[in-house]
Amino acid sequence: MPTLPQFLSQAFNGVALGSLLALISCGLTIILGTLGVLNFAHGAMFMVGAYVAFVVLAAFHSFAAALVLGALTLLVFGFALERGLIRLYYDRPHEDQILVTFGLAIMMIEAVHYAFGGESQRVPVPPWGRGIVHLHFFVYPLYRVEAIGLAAVILLAFYLLLYRTRIGLVVRAGIEDPLMVQLLGTNVRRAFMVVFSIGCMAAGIAGVIYAPLAAVIPNMGEQFLVQCFVVVVIGGLGSFPGAIVGGLVVGQILSLTTLFNPAYAQAAIYAVMTLVLIIRPRGLFGTMGRA
Amino acid sequence: MEGARRRLLGWLPELFMALALIVLPFLCYALLGSVDLLTRILIWGIFGLGFDLLFGFTGLLSFGQAAFYGCGGFVTAYLLTSGDLSNVWLAMAAGIASAAAFSVIVGILALRRVGIYFAMITLAFGELSYFLENSPLAHWTGGENGLPGVPAPRLHFGSFVYSFSGSWASYELIAAFFFVGFVFARFVVRSPVGDVLNAIRQNPLRTAALGHDVHAYKLSVFVLAAIFAGCAGALLGIFQGYMPPNAFTLETSGQLVIQTVIGGAGTLIGPTIGAAIWLVLRQVLQQLPAIGSLWLFILGLVFVLLVTFLPKGIVGATARLGSKFPFFELRPVVTDAFQGEKGTAQALLAPFSTAGTRGSSPAELALHVRNVSKAYGGIHAVEGVSLELPAGRFHAIIGPNGAGKSTFLRLLNCEERPDTGRILLNGIDITGIGVTRAHQHGLAKSFQINQLFPQFTVRQNLRIGALSRLRGPLRLDVFRPADGFSKIELMLAALLDRLGLTPSADVRVSSLPYGEKRRLELGLALASRPSVLLLDEPLAGLSPHEREGIKRLIQDVRGGRTIVLVEHDMDAVFQLAERITVLHEGRKLAEGTPQEISADRRVREAYLGGIAA
Amino acid sequence: MPQHPSSHSPVVGKSLSRRRILKAGLGASVAGFVLPRIASPAWAKDYPALGTFPAGTNGSSVFVGCLVPLTGPYSASGKDMQLGFQLAVEHLNDGSRVTEQIPTLKKGKGVLGKKIEFQVADAETKPDPAVQAATRYVRDNKAIMLTGAVSSAVAVALEELGQREHTIVMIGNSSSNDTTGKDCQRYGFRSQDSAYMASKALAPVLAKELGKNRKTAYLTPDYTFGHTIYASMKKFTEEQGWTTAIQQVAPLGTTDFSSYLLNIANSGADVFVNLAFGADAVASTKQAQQFGVLPMMKYVVPDISQFQAKELGAEIMGGAYGSQPWWWTEQDAYPLAKFFVEDFEKTNHYKPRWGASEAYLQMLVWADAVERAGTFYPIAVIKALESGQKVNSIYGEVYYRAGDHQMVRPVPVMVGKKPNEMKGPEDFYRVVDLVPGEQVLPPLNETGCHLQAYET
Repeated sequence: MPTLPQFLSQAFNGVALGSLLALISCGLTIILGTLGVLNFAHGAMFMVGAYVAFVVLAAFHSFAAALVLGALTLLVFGFALERGLIRLYYDRPHEDQILVTFGLAIMMIEAVHYAFGGESQRVPVPPWGRGIVHLHFFVYPLYRVEAIGLAAVILLAFYLLLYRTRIGLVVRAGIEDPLMVQLLGTNVRRAFMVVFSIGCMAAGIAGVIYAPLAAVIPNMGEQFLVQCFVVVVIGGLGSFPGAIVGGLVVGQILSLTTLFNPAYAQAAIYAVMTLVLIIRPRGLFGTMGRA
Repeated sequence: MEGARRRLLGWLPELFMALALIVLPFLCYALLGSVDLLTRILIWGIFGLGFDLLFGFTGLLSFGQAAFYGCGGFVTAYLLTSGDLSNVWLAMAAGIASAAAFSVIVGILALRRVGIYFAMITLAFGELSYFLENSPLAHWTGGENGLPGVPAPRLHFGSFVYSFSGSWASYELIAAFFFVGFVFARFVVRSPVGDVLNAIRQNPLRTAALGHDVHAYKLSVFVLAAIFAGCAGALLGIFQGYMPPNAFTLETSGQLVIQTVIGGAGTLIGPTIGAAIWLVLRQVLQQLPAIGSLWLFILGLVFVLLVTFLPKGIVGATARLGSKFPFFELRPVVTDAFQGEKGTAQALLAPFSTAGTRGSSPAELALHVRNVSKAYGGIHAVEGVSLELPAGRFHAIIGPNGAGKSTFLRLLNCEERPDTGRILLNGIDITGIGVTRAHQHGLAKSFQINQLFPQFTVRQNLRIGALSRLRGPLRLDVFRPADGFSKIELMLAALLDRLGLTPSADVRVSSLPYGEKRRLELGLALASRPSVLLLDEPLAGLSPHEREGIKRLIQDVRGGRTIVLVEHDMDAVFQLAERITVLHEGRKLAEGTPQEISADRRVREAYLGGIAA
Repeated sequence: MPQHPSSHSPVVGKSLSRRRILKAGLGASVAGFVLPRIASPAWAKDYPALGTFPAGTNGSSVFVGCLVPLTGPYSASGKDMQLGFQLAVEHLNDGSRVTEQIPTLKKGKGVLGKKIEFQVADAETKPDPAVQAATRYVRDNKAIMLTGAVSSAVAVALEELGQREHTIVMIGNSSSNDTTGKDCQRYGFRSQDSAYMASKALAPVLAKELGKNRKTAYLTPDYTFGHTIYASMKKFTEEQGWTTAIQQVAPLGTTDFSSYLLNIANSGADVFVNLAFGADAVASTKQAQQFGVLPMMKYVVPDISQFQAKELGAEIMGGAYGSQPWWWTEQDAYPLAKFFVEDFEKTNHYKPRWGASEAYLQMLVWADAVERAGTFYPIAVIKALESGQKVNSIYGEVYYRAGDHQMVRPVPVMVGKKPNEMKGPEDFYRVVDLVPGEQVLPPLNETGCHLQAYET
């Protein structure tokens, strides 16, 4: 039976895990909500962000530069991808969209594998992140606490973008009813491009933040991809607040299950996702799901 | 005879497949030095036959088929390696049965949802099965090691034993299973079941509204796909002498989907072709020293290119080129135009009444609606509306926009459940029994917006409507051709003649002009010979000339039917209806003969907003 | 019929008694074994067909199949193995400074005069693709030997395949005890030291360097290898007086170890033993340092991954004790290793890791056994491998134990160098001890290995 301090430290850990998941997932959910594309390449975007961090940090030793360049790289890459490939799929059935992003993910992973090799790349924790924080009764790495903060700031920026700008308004309307938005004469296609680029950017930034914490290998995004699906389902497909709450929920499930039986942690989130899909498919905040 | 010749031609694919299965291994041996690659391709082919029925024909994209593939494989392998069973055939049967049982559970849960949600649930179940194999059940499944030592099956002919071990014998075994599976799948595709599955993919709402239990059909094909998957998994373990744990992974499910799309969904052999491309490329690319570990990148690129430029896959693209050959497309048997007299046609198209069989009195109301209401949130779409229609009545419902007419009709059709009130059809309480069962009781609706099956021909569309009456909501008559009910075919010919659609009978609906589509829409509702017919704005969007045609048609098909008509075209309403109900803001405003209604001041006020005429 | 007592030369004369024929046969066969010569077709006819013999050896070349992961999480180790294997084939076919020093391989013209052809297949870090490719190599290419494997699951599957197809399988990278334990096969041979051996070699060094009364926290990956090495480490450290404070079992492929590390940090242990491998090891080590576990506790890695020090850096790995099957500084102990390291670095521009060394080593040991047997006939080769004959190799003198086919070879124990101790960019470890294999082998009756009869 876990003790209270154990429980609380795992709960805090769940918040840290969850905030990162939320950051990756918000990109996935707005792409899904607006474009209807289930982006199977989202994990690969995350991975590319981590590799950009590796390259930039090795060259410039500046974490700020890594963040900026990581965001920019994925923004541009997302833009190019949307214009070049995803755009061709808007009138095609959903299965085809899933499949092309699936194939894209394979290509991205193997390209990175070819360029960098299979061994893990070294991304050091930035100097201001080294050390431990003593929180009451347990210790926690300083960088992880800062990562929560970073994730929160970026999520706030996205919130402002979505809820306080005109393009954000179009995006949110497009999630509700893309046909109507188009009929109202707004350039929906341009909004799609923005959404896809921003979604990829969110994943890339998450990758930069996460790189010092884990092994940077070409396959690193795969596990996160499926976890993101779970987050998005629980939070509600297409819902930005849903991604945040869903991320925190999944983070908690993963952390707390580990307290009791680690082997079941992954299985637990699949079970929860299945339950949500069966009982309340639109999740906590979703508007889609009238299936 | 023409029919016999066509039936013989219909067997050409099976013949070609048999020939291919005999010739290809020699080719493979000559080119590559062994038949093993072909055997592996066929195992994926068996897996894919079931998946194509599920995804290509019924439109259900599942990312979790690996669960059944692995289940069949591991149950079979476990029984054989643990010594519990020595007969390989029995072990295979047990494996397939387990996969089927597992799929019933997953199907009941997953099929409550459609589209992306369905895909995600199947994905979750696939991952859960992988987890089960790896952790809690590792003692039986070997965990990450898998189960080695699976023996090859044997056939006993008296004292002679034929063991299916070694390259060629393994090929024979798997090719035999593949051929049987292919023949069976072809039966399914050509049967009424196949037509219904295809209809479900194109328009599930309409399929249900035409009396087919969509959920039951979906579950059936889901289980069928699992049976194919379990069989393929069992054969994999037997062929390799080893059952691998990655049979359960998301990657396996994904590879199946990729291969099907590359090859072409809805073609039955698409997955096999896709598997051939994937496996051959993988083997060849790895051997090229310049490429080596880049093989996966190239495969990914090939896949993306194929999905982008050949949306129907390779078989689909080939089929389009060689569209003269009726091998893999659904093609109906063309019969001659209806030659009979009007009286025969009338008899063929007469309403199929359930009332007579129950022995209820002729004075029974055909449709009795008691005080139904329906609210959406704060909006009261329909409030306390009642209606009493004796048999044969032609009743119209009119009212200004937003009056609740369409909602009312949806309630009558049992597409939605009323919040209060009851609906009785020929004395039977059909409140809330759902659109499919209501249809089975003799109720049909013609929709305001065309709800057709765009990839079917006109005749096929009508056939879907007709099949449910004869076969009930669910019948798995896979060994019968879809056009095998001569009574139905005769009736269809008569109906086509009545609708004036005989020239377009075998044209795809997607290429029809709007007027013909509208007539087909009406025809669909008639195909099951309902006793109560609901018409939701049948004249919508038609030119004056076309309107006349439809009006004549409606009068033509009245024969004994009770009809409820919702329309805005007042001329048509006053011409056709015996009695009219006026709805306003969800409530019944007035009811009476056309003369009474046209004289009613309240009606005029409602329509014109209070300005007295 | 006069009979001559001396019979070292073939009998000449009209009358041939049975004894003379026997002695002639004995003399001839002795001559055949002592003089490494091309096995003439007459010899081949003496052996029945078995597996790919003689179909795969009738031409001027023989085929060897190599199964390593080239994609997926273990691809870096796989690539290392592939390069070592390829260098060995090159050395065997064309001769080299290494093969010159080994009597049976001196001539440098392949094995038994036949050139070695090979192919490398991507095992994708999963057993199934490995089995598929290996089956193809045996059935289509008539492979006379299979080598490779990175991961015990693949090793076990390949050994089973080899047993069934009567093809020798040389396993280079699998440290689970079961590979030559309950999963052992007559046709399978393993060169890497097992988890048991590594633990037994490591524990006394740990006790000596770190003290006797230590409390350990273990991070165990949740699969067969993890559990066997945990059992071995626990046994041997407890024999040295250490206590096990806590064990955290993490599923394979875990990316976030925070939950486990929190528990470990609170466990009161002062030694952290990390049993994870590959990317899991990198992630868990990084995170252990971030959670303060590492500076707080001593760090022990009983099965160091090939590139772990490069991936983590000397700041983290400095001061960590552990074992891996080989480190290139062993070239100071073994002269043949020096040649190997130099040739490898010339071709591939980095110092070979233990994937390469095991793959290289196995090829040469196998070639030596074939030469000694004088034939490719599998059972003869197996018996030559089992004979206990010591072979000079890059690890010094090695041989296989007949009872379980585990290679008896030195087990290195090493400690990570701190950045200021490194004399070059790849100088990550200092080898503290090279424990002779005999000292750390598990007793044969405890392994659970029951080798099948030869003729199955």
